[in-house]
Amino acid sequence: MTTRPRRVELDPDTVERDLARLVLTVVELLRRLMEGQALRRVESGDLTEEQEERLGLTLMLLEDRMALLRDRFGLEPEDLNIDLGPLGNLL
Amino acid sequence: MNDENLWYVYAVVRSPGPAGPPAGGTLGEGLATVDHRGLTALAEKVPATDFDEAPLRERLEDLDWLARVARAHHGVVAEAGRHTTVVPLRLATVCRGEQGVRRLLEEGEDRLLEALDRLAGAREWGVKLYVDEAAAPPAAEPAGGDRPDRAGSGRDYLRRRLGQQRARQDADDAAARTARHLHEALARAAADTVLHPPQQARLSGVPGRNVLNAAYLVPEEGEQRFRDALPPPDDLHTGLRVEVTGPWVPYSFTRTGPEEGTGP
Repeated sequence: MTTRPRRVELDPDTVERDLARLVLTVVELLRRLMEGQALRRVESGDLTEEQEERLGLTLMLLEDRMALLRDRFGLEPEDLNIDLGPLGNLL
Repeated sequence: MNDENLWYVYAVVRSPGPAGPPAGGTLGEGLATVDHRGLTALAEKVPATDFDEAPLRERLEDLDWLARVARAHHGVVAEAGRHTTVVPLRLATVCRGEQGVRRLLEEGEDRLLEALDRLAGAREWGVKLYVDEAAAPPAAEPAGGDRPDRAGSGRDYLRRRLGQQRARQDADDAAARTARHLHEALARAAADTVLHPPQQARLSGVPGRNVLNAAYLVPEEGEQRFRDALPPPDDLHTGLRVEVTGPWVPYSFTRTGPEEGTGP
């Protein structure tokens, strides 16, 4: 068993970062979808001012937290992506 | 029957081919010409160890080897194209014996003659239009540093995002419009055009998003008119960039290449 070459280097530091990257990428995808939906509703004018305010505040906070989390794991905005091969990038 | 030498065929020109020994090649024993009924193939005897069917299939997956073949191929085609109208064949077109080369010329005769007529006196120019995302309005969220905490309310945030989204949309529309107008203007000065799919920045390594990737077959007497149709860089919106390449041997316009040796 021990003679087999180890394909994956399990370095605790990078595992954490890679995992964070994956999770944050998915969160970022959802955030953008939500924001896109919110902007469409604002554009079509079917939200009250109060609803707009709350929605905007939520999205703003979400973006803010994303930036904090990225910083904590040393990730740049462009790191949050997944290469889907022939389909291009996720984001 | 008889000689089982393999011949790599680079390109076809109208007979008589180049005066004197043709230059270039070197995938095998040196470039030679094979004449048949008014057509001349620029071809070269190549070793079966590389170019016979089975080894060739394997070799085609070897990128370094392929690059060498592509360079030799392009070299022969470009050199011939300097002197006469040339129809490049597909990369790695291999025939069995001189007889095979003749057969290729004979079977492809109509298409080759048609292509030679069509390409006579014309050269290919490539034009690409890029959008430099950096110069365009901010598309993604602002990086952590310039957090818009002064923006205050959620409504302001939404409005700002909406503005950014519209600006981006406008930039995209402007790029598409510019690409369309540019292509129309250039096509008027060209005998033929081919629209290639836009390049992926990831593969080409060229910065910016490619929104037009076109090839134009331009008669030599119309080259000035073609060039005049290109906008001076100052005329373009910020963030748009035009790249012109050429003149090339009209690779993009030889869709009539004979089938032999090009696979199923």
